[in-house]
Amino acid sequence: MAADQLSTTFAALADPTRRAILARLSSGECSVTELAEPFEMSMPAVSKHLRVLERAGLIARGREAQWRPCRLEPAPLKEVAAWAERYRHIWERRFDRLDGYLQEMKAAKEKKHGRKQRRK
Amino acid sequence: MAVSSAANSDSFKTTTPSDREIVMTRLFDAPRDLVFEAMSRPEHVRRWWGLLDERYSVPVCEIDFRVGGAWRFVSRGPQGEAGFHGIYREIDAPERIVFTEIFDPFPDVESVVTSVLKEENGKTRFTVTCLYPSLEVRNMVLGTGMEGGAAISYDRLEEVAAGLQRATP
Repeated sequence: MAADQLSTTFAALADPTRRAILARLSSGECSVTELAEPFEMSMPAVSKHLRVLERAGLIARGREAQWRPCRLEPAPLKEVAAWAERYRHIWERRFDRLDGYLQEMKAAKEKKHGRKQRRK
Repeated sequence: MAVSSAANSDSFKTTTPSDREIVMTRLFDAPRDLVFEAMSRPEHVRRWWGLLDERYSVPVCEIDFRVGGAWRFVSRGPQGEAGFHGIYREIDAPERIVFTEIFDPFPDVESVVTSVLKEENGKTRFTVTCLYPSLEVRNMVLGTGMEGGAAISYDRLEEVAAGLQRATP
């Protein structure tokens, strides 16, 4: 379940225009026209990007018929961040476990060669 | 500063030397040959890789340790299984291993992991460089720009891990 949401979020974020749209929305709500301004892009093209972002739950659109403001929805980004933190913890813990295990390996080897190199 | 029970915990560092890389380094109090052995044989790998705490196990640990050979590790924990797989690209014992890595839920995202072992005053410095397909993927892995200030207390984590080591025979 989480993996599917993450895949959708990753796919939506894998485009520079969509990330720029999200960056713009991080400073507040915008209309589609306002969002289209900085991009040399047709309105239908911008709308297509917005649909991808909306499907991924990264933005929400207002219901007002004339002015459908877009706003950022932070929840999926938080999920990505949580996954990322977990990944980093995994490396940290892998190293910690390896550290402990190496001491076991060392002890096992010393025992094997105990007659040659006695421990104090 | 809290006194950490794990001797080399403060040697862990993460850096981002380029847009697509994450480098992690840590010092180990063991000879380089031993660290290399611990990384390259399944009977050793399954004793440390993927064991985040005592609830975890490594039900799959397959290593075909030659250039072009495949590897596949699965970590099983309270939330299910996490599988990783890849291909060994370079093997230069006891100094360097390069392999590709794919996390099963993201089959399109292949990273290249380079592990380098250097001897340092009787200890071994283990440096892992993960090269991601793009800046975006790397930043997602790092979590930068997404949620600021999520500082992690690595020392505390290591104490937890050290406690678990004591508890696990």
